[in-house]
Amino acid sequence: MDAFLQGLALVFNFQTLLVIIGAAIFGVFVGAVPGLTATMAVALLVPITFYMDPTPAIAAIVTTSAMAIFAGDIPGTYLNIPGTPASAAYVGESHQLARQGRARETLGTNLVCSMFGGLFGTLVLVFVSPSLAEVALKFSSFEYFWLALLGLSCSIFISIGSKTKAFLSLLVGLLLSTVGLDMMSGAPRFTFGIPDLMAGVNFIPVMIGMFALNELMMFYGSRNEGRNVPAVHKDEVFSSVPKHLKRYWRNLLRGSSTGTLIGALPGAGADIAAWISYAMGKSRSKDRDAYGTGHIEGIVDASSANNSGISGAWVPALVFGIPGDSITAIVIGVLYMKGMNPGPTIFMDGGGLIYALFIVFFIANLIMLPIGYIAIRSAKVFILTPRKILMPIILCFCIVGAFAINNTITDVWIMLITGSVAFILARNDFPMAPAILGLVLGGTLENNFMSSMLKSNGDLLSFFSRPISAGLGAMVILIWFVPLFIRLYRRYRGAPQSPRTP
Amino acid sequence: MKDFLLGLAFMAAGAIVYLVAQQFPTMPSLQYGPSLFPSLIGGGFMIGGLILAISHVGALKGIGHGMTWHMDREQLRNTLLSILPGLAIVFYILTSEWLGALLSLALVMFVLMLARRTPPLLALGVSLVAALIVDLLFSRYLLIPLPEGLMSIWG
Repeated sequence: MDAFLQGLALVFNFQTLLVIIGAAIFGVFVGAVPGLTATMAVALLVPITFYMDPTPAIAAIVTTSAMAIFAGDIPGTYLNIPGTPASAAYVGESHQLARQGRARETLGTNLVCSMFGGLFGTLVLVFVSPSLAEVALKFSSFEYFWLALLGLSCSIFISIGSKTKAFLSLLVGLLLSTVGLDMMSGAPRFTFGIPDLMAGVNFIPVMIGMFALNELMMFYGSRNEGRNVPAVHKDEVFSSVPKHLKRYWRNLLRGSSTGTLIGALPGAGADIAAWISYAMGKSRSKDRDAYGTGHIEGIVDASSANNSGISGAWVPALVFGIPGDSITAIVIGVLYMKGMNPGPTIFMDGGGLIYALFIVFFIANLIMLPIGYIAIRSAKVFILTPRKILMPIILCFCIVGAFAINNTITDVWIMLITGSVAFILARNDFPMAPAILGLVLGGTLENNFMSSMLKSNGDLLSFFSRPISAGLGAMVILIWFVPLFIRLYRRYRGAPQSPRTP
Repeated sequence: MKDFLLGLAFMAAGAIVYLVAQQFPTMPSLQYGPSLFPSLIGGGFMIGGLILAISHVGALKGIGHGMTWHMDREQLRNTLLSILPGLAIVFYILTSEWLGALLSLALVMFVLMLARRTPPLLALGVSLVAALIVDLLFSRYLLIPLPEGLMSIWG
């Protein structure tokens, strides 16, 4: 109880509340400007959170990401350009509704569903994480090795598009994680004689490069400004919401639970959660034909899913230190910097901090309602902010933000190089999430492998000698080989009907 | 075609990573040294790159059969413009020490805004104000030692 009261005191003070409101406005702005993603918002925020106490720092990240995911629906609805990738799944649906003069009604429903999804995910986080943490306490380096490998494997097989490209993207992240002094031998690896690289590649300049600089380069490489807002407002924000929720409450629950579950899978973020929930909603709907013509049902499913995915991603991040998406990958680094080492012990020795984190989640999702309402009413301000003015300002924040981490120009170079590589890869449909997971989990994977080898005198079979470790190992093997077996089986079954032609 | 070339690039990168990793010192007490993971990553690059190249080898056959791979003027212009933010960063790195962060940032913003046809006066005003805010926020409020350069004359 004392810890809970401590948590309350950490959140309900002037500084933290001010940070939450500021972060909410920042999140709305970044989310509502097309081309700026929630991950980019968080990456740009990290250098500033560096100078905050742990609670306001976490509060700023949680609030920004939740608000940005919702606000991504605003340009999606008005302009048919999703503000963030998480809104892309149902952008056609919401834009069709806007063309019928129902933009505010759509965004109002979006807002309430987002809030519900976020709160649902938070409840799962609050009730599931501590129990999972008790199990995780029994984990040793063997289990953590498999867990990291499981996360990395998921990031390949869950990604949309070519798995080979996802695999290569993951290796880029893993390669970056090997830079610096080797943990066991102290030998420098890929440091090229640069002293700043001895401690490894700091992940924040990499994040800024991959998510912000990459977007900037995309923007300058295109001519699209996209600025035609159909400004017809015959509807009200919340008046139709109760009717929609009464009709589609099952979709709301299904979207929230699917989103939380998908968010918790490493490598799968709010965007994948929204796509899958939208597809599930469509396949189970009685009005399947109405999808794509401006049907609110699809929006209920997907907009609750993307916000619950944000909360769900925190479960593995807090319990195991395995990020659920690219935002929690950044968060893990921030938690380490703030002395809150992610892992099961965070629930034991975190004091009031862990309760403060839970409370922050509730506030961030509740504050979404008033600030989201204001954002919907003043949507034009966000949408009409000219990107040709905004993008150069963001570039300056990227440069100064990367420099601010260690006060060294090397980090600016790292941002530039990783951003350029990310630009080339992203333009050729390489997913970025596996690279980020590779960078964050690479150290965990290698260090736990090496520790396990030291403990077992190099016996590789020891990875299967403990029950949980063997179970996790079996899961990893299944993830890698089941798709192969399925393909071989299909080829075998299909062979008589479609013989190969020479 | 691009995927085929990227596949080859990954194979080459993999070979380099693998060769560099072989030069890492080994310790007799450790069965798996610091070269293990980088070697695996290098190997992974080569295998992944090979798969990517092989799966797009059809593009090469297309070129052989008369298909051409070229970039039109619009594409070339867009590609060159996309490099602009990168060049701006290089400019900042090279000039911030003697021009100072404030002036370098303002110049970077001004040029980038002009590149997207922002009216010059508006671009100038926004660049100066934004550079001042960024400089104040980071060097005065967050105490980041941004280079002062020429601005140090005013103390």
